[in-house]
Amino acid sequence: MLDRITELMSSQSTLEGIQSDLGALSTTEQELSTGYKINEPSDDPYGASVVVDLNSQLSALSSYASNISDGTAWLNTAGSALSEITNMAQTAQELVVEGANGTNSTTDDQSAADEVNQLIASIKQAANTQYDGNYIFSGTATSTAPYQAGSDDTYQGNDGSITRTIGPGETVQVNTNLSTLLGNGSAAGDGGLLDTLETISSDLSAGNVSALGTTDLQNIQTNLNTLEGMQANVGATTNRLTDASSAVTTMQSSDQTELTSTEDVNMAQAATSYTADEASYNAALQAGAQIVQESLLNFLSAGA
Amino acid sequence: MAIPSLTGVETALSGLEAEQAALDTTGNNIDNASTPGYSEEVVNLAGSTPESIPATGAGSQSTQLGTGVDLESITRVRDQFLDTQYRAQNTQLGNDTTTATQLSDAQTALGESSSTTGISSQLSQFYSDWNSLADNPSSLSAQQALVDDATTLAQSFNSLSSQLTGTQTQSPSLVTQAAQQFSALTASGGQLLNDANEINSLNQDISQAIASGQSPNQLEDQRDSALDDLSTLGQVSTTTGANGQVTVNFGDASEPLVAAGSGTALGTVNAITGITGSSSAGSNPISSATGGELGALITLSSTDPSVNPIAGYSQSLDTVANDLVTDVNHAISAAGGTTAFFTGDSASTIAVNSTLSSAVKSGSTTALNSNAVATAVAALQGGAPDQSYAALVEQVGDDVKTAQTSQTNQQAVVTATEDQRESVSGVSLDQEMTNLISEQRGYQASAQTLNTLNSVLNTLISEVGSAGM
Repeated sequence: MLDRITELMSSQSTLEGIQSDLGALSTTEQELSTGYKINEPSDDPYGASVVVDLNSQLSALSSYASNISDGTAWLNTAGSALSEITNMAQTAQELVVEGANGTNSTTDDQSAADEVNQLIASIKQAANTQYDGNYIFSGTATSTAPYQAGSDDTYQGNDGSITRTIGPGETVQVNTNLSTLLGNGSAAGDGGLLDTLETISSDLSAGNVSALGTTDLQNIQTNLNTLEGMQANVGATTNRLTDASSAVTTMQSSDQTELTSTEDVNMAQAATSYTADEASYNAALQAGAQIVQESLLNFLSAGA
Repeated sequence: MAIPSLTGVETALSGLEAEQAALDTTGNNIDNASTPGYSEEVVNLAGSTPESIPATGAGSQSTQLGTGVDLESITRVRDQFLDTQYRAQNTQLGNDTTTATQLSDAQTALGESSSTTGISSQLSQFYSDWNSLADNPSSLSAQQALVDDATTLAQSFNSLSSQLTGTQTQSPSLVTQAAQQFSALTASGGQLLNDANEINSLNQDISQAIASGQSPNQLEDQRDSALDDLSTLGQVSTTTGANGQVTVNFGDASEPLVAAGSGTALGTVNAITGITGSSSAGSNPISSATGGELGALITLSSTDPSVNPIAGYSQSLDTVANDLVTDVNHAISAAGGTTAFFTGDSASTIAVNSTLSSAVKSGSTTALNSNAVATAVAALQGGAPDQSYAALVEQVGDDVKTAQTSQTNQQAVVTATEDQRESVSGVSLDQEMTNLISEQRGYQASAQTLNTLNSVLNTLISEVGSAGM
């Protein structure tokens, strides 16, 4: 406690009171107007670093979400191409079964052989399916068509894998290595679908009933089994992406909640403290107006 | 024994004169009630030497008769101890204020506020671009977006580094600014020498006034104000000589800033020549132990990260940039990529590999066309560079908060000390008004005494005098 109070002291302390109240008011006002309680890292240093972390996580999660939707579209495209190929292989299988019966005329056999040749061309076309300008069955050589039109059946792509990151440290392969099914055609004699269908075509035109009924039928069945495995794999990967998508959504919402509670102003609280700050500012102003005015002068009569 | 008839008149006159002086002083106090640095002045009165009256006869004793009042001096009310205390606290406040301002500037440079996009969001964008590229590696637009955003990120590192500790002259870094401020404050025409010269010349005026028997209250007030101003810059200690001149020692300088002159001669001012241990220390340097603004500036102009927090931020930023360069390039080569993405090894040198950026600019997509590489780099998000950057943001925020808190607290201490000093030396108008009334009444009473004496003497002269005629 000070012994003696002077006018300068009371006016200075009134001014300081007014200024500190105004400072508090302006801080609350900034919080209310920006909607953030961390406007500078110094407002809450730990909170600020959490905000940096959370924003980075949220950006990663939104990348995962877009990777997942891109991967899903890629797999859907691959799935429908594989279905087309399956349908065509099944058509070829029916033609083989008919040819193996030996009841067909030579003309019928020849037209069946022509149909198989058409199927070969269509299957190669299906293998050249693109998604967003990329060949999906060329491995990583996405700008190269995996099979050329015409008699060359050599696979043009590679066996590289294309992956999508769908979560922290979690990647899935979204491309299917179709060349293991289709092979490199009869020139290679690798028993792939193209080789098998070309053999069937020549067996049909030659009326080689015994070969049709035995090896050809077996080979096409083997290829159909491989194809079925590929489709199942695409389906399973699609399911995994769907699961990952809902996991990402859950993480996004929990990160967002945490970010909001760290960074955002509680409006009700801020508005309340704004009112309190305003009241104390008004009180300080009023006290200032009163205190500084009063002095002994007011009570001394002029003529004394 | 007779008492001279006119003794009472002289006595009454001394009362009138004393009250007159008191009224003038009170008036002066009231006039200066809001003058900064003014100390209340008081009139010191003492009873005059009494006149001895010997015993007049048996039974009576010799006695003394008062002869009025003497005006001894007019002095200022000042507590030197409070001055010392105030200056010590003010030095600490100067130090805290400068530190808080500079660190807050560093925080602004960092740009991690709610309204700006700093390196953290640019890093996120960088990884997000790699992710988009992973989805469509042959896309020229995705590659261009990546190269553009990565260039922006690298430039942000460069710019922040140069804002903190860079050495270019066009836009001086915070460290350079601190060094420049130190020079400006200590150079001729700067605050330090202005105050020192003012004190030196007031010293001479004061010693001359004292030599001629006056009390130079106002001059002393001015000198105290100059010392207060000086204390913002660094620690000040004073020794007052018999001639009234003060010797001012500043911080840990070896020579006194103001050396008092002898007698009424002008003293000498010894300029501060530089920073202890630096190449331009000169003959009379100071170190950061000086405290105050100059002490803070010495710390903040250091390029040693263990001394100067701002140099420390720059070092941490270099680590972040170097980690980013190493991690990204390593991930690329591990995933089979052949072209390094970043070049450089610090925040000031990090850049996007120019071979790569010019290839992408010319429309070639071969260098970045790899799903595996893009996936590998995107997977780095949240790694060492991100974490150390978040730690840097926390560090800067912490330091600024601490500095601002000490500044606020120190301000309160200074205000309290100032109040104590004001309580002693300040002018209270209520008190002055009270004094005014008592002095006015005193003056009136003295005048009345004179009047009465006049009337008594009149009686003596007219009654006793006429009887003898």
